[in-house]
Amino acid sequence: MARARAEPPLKLWVTLEGREAEVTIHTDGDRLVVESDGRHIEADFVRLPDGEVYSLLIDGRSHVVRVSPAQEGLEVELRGMTIPVEVKHPLEKMLQAASGGRAASRGETVAAPMPGVVVAVRVKAGDAVKAGQAVIVVEAMKMQNELAVAHDGVVREVMVAERAAVSAGQALVRVAPASSGSSGGSA
Amino acid sequence: MPRLQRVLIANRGEIAVRIIRTLRETGRTGIAIYSEPDRTALHVLMADEAYLVGPGPSSESYLNMERVLEVAKRVRADAIHPGYGFFAENEAFARACARAGIVFIGPTPETIAALGDKLAARTAALAAGVPVVPGSPGPVGSRDEVKRFGTEIGYPLMLKAAAGGGGKGMRVVRSDAELDAAWDLTRGEAKAAFGDERVFVERYIERPRHVEAQILADGSGRVVFLGERECSVQRRHQKLLEETPSPAFDAKTRAAFGEAACRVAKQVGYRSAGTVEFILDESRQFYFLEVNTRLQVEHPVTEMVTGLDLVAEQLRVAEGDELSFGDAPPEPRGWSMEARIIAEDPARNFLPSVGRIERVQFPQGPGVRIDSGIYRGYEVPVFYDSLLAKLVVWGADREQARRRLVRALDEFVLEGPRHNLAFHAWLALHPEFAAGRLSTRFLEEHWRPAELKPGAEAANAALLAAALHERAERQRVQVGGRDAPGASTASAWKWLGRERSRR
Repeated sequence: MARARAEPPLKLWVTLEGREAEVTIHTDGDRLVVESDGRHIEADFVRLPDGEVYSLLIDGRSHVVRVSPAQEGLEVELRGMTIPVEVKHPLEKMLQAASGGRAASRGETVAAPMPGVVVAVRVKAGDAVKAGQAVIVVEAMKMQNELAVAHDGVVREVMVAERAAVSAGQALVRVAPASSGSSGGSA
Repeated sequence: MPRLQRVLIANRGEIAVRIIRTLRETGRTGIAIYSEPDRTALHVLMADEAYLVGPGPSSESYLNMERVLEVAKRVRADAIHPGYGFFAENEAFARACARAGIVFIGPTPETIAALGDKLAARTAALAAGVPVVPGSPGPVGSRDEVKRFGTEIGYPLMLKAAAGGGGKGMRVVRSDAELDAAWDLTRGEAKAAFGDERVFVERYIERPRHVEAQILADGSGRVVFLGERECSVQRRHQKLLEETPSPAFDAKTRAAFGEAACRVAKQVGYRSAGTVEFILDESRQFYFLEVNTRLQVEHPVTEMVTGLDLVAEQLRVAEGDELSFGDAPPEPRGWSMEARIIAEDPARNFLPSVGRIERVQFPQGPGVRIDSGIYRGYEVPVFYDSLLAKLVVWGADREQARRRLVRALDEFVLEGPRHNLAFHAWLALHPEFAAGRLSTRFLEEHWRPAELKPGAEAANAALLAAALHERAERQRVQVGGRDAPGASTASAWKWLGRERSRR
């Protein structure tokens, strides 16, 4: 069979395990070459006839990976693990720089992970909350689940009352960042 | 008693599937019931017959007693197997079966009543001369009463729903300060789950092991002990991994333990399969906890080492037959472990997860058994518990069983909802687990979500996978005719759209 021609390289910004790096990708037939941070990773790849699943042979080591779009970026599943990966194109990177880290000052929203019933609301608007603090208890799948905030902040709004039935993804509590105008670093 | 030819399974999911298998193997007709969202559940597809009992919520379907019995009568079921959960330990249901002329596969309603209430069960154990954990003689009426108890025998204490089971409605209290929240939560959960908010209190043993005895009784006074199961690895008092035998037991402990379990069963005239639960303190002293008057989730590990089919034995007893092995139960051989594969996110405090099973490939090969209720494309419903599959392995000894578990977990492909496969791999490889040094506080002491951080090799593979995804996206855009000199431009617009929809 004729070998597929090499494709032009693709440049991306990839965030993995909390680290962002510029990544260059070349493919040539069934060879994939990724360069990032001075590292050079080569793999043999085949797409399997089963959704977006690839078999990778990296230096002979065999991996089966599945990629799916997630709420934020992508998720890669392998060996029972789910690894979130964020991918940005150079243009996105520029746009983001222009918007000046607005993401950091957005605060957070505690949402219902699945349909259920609110059994307890532990906070009210104006309360200061600490990272990891449970703010609301939702009963789903016969278990009471305490939902916690990920960052320090101040409760801006409690959007549901006890006994309310909630659907998956429904916003329950909005929290403003602890102090605005603090470090503009990326989270 | 005539042969029970038509058996209705008043349950769903993996346990209904497991019961259907034995019914098939023994030449009986397996009759499933199902709720509306369970029309495509595996137990419905595998059953000989299946009948609708109501909408999604359990209380309107699997727990709708009148409806379930009405269906059982209408389709002329000879017997009902309750599985675990739902009506498995419901005295009223067992009585209603009897009134309807249908055999309830399990103990008598009187036994269920006597053992279902934890306080009554404690009394029965004491009467049989079996030690129990020191605690309140009855339900406690107020938080002040619990506080007095805390002063008397000291914290930590355990609050337990009188009607509880399966780890639900239990909470540890370590101080007066913690009591306030725990009191309301425990009573709230008890009320919601069992319709009974009575709570009792007992001493909490700091690093206990949870060990239970599988018993089988023919109802005419013969009770046999089929070995112990250690179920110490738990989260929120729910078992995650079980094994038999217990790495903490020697022959002497086992003999005393089996004898105590049988004494409790005889005390109440037990019939059918049952589990007598104990906790074991650090000096290997065991204390009676409760009797589960049903087939247990983790029964397969006992089946793996004894070669018995516990459902088949239950059917024999229900038909008034002897146990298949007469007086001499088989000597357990080798070691077995079961990992509960659950739709939950270990990285987010084991939060339950739902969704479609996008891809599933069960492990195979020597010494592996899978009991599951899922298949590719199946949508995990929100109404029921989140157990997806039980991965059970057998080995000649504990080390072989453990290595086999690691191997099988590695082979297991499960994509869609969040699950705990990687967690189990972490657990099975943990040096303390490998050494058999277990307690119900194992997770508290050893588990951190950061344990599941991918290593460098996995991170590289993830990076490559993401790169291939972007490449595929670019090709898709190009094939779609939208000119993209420029694929990154198209992608950037898509990204902007995503960003906007997030606000």
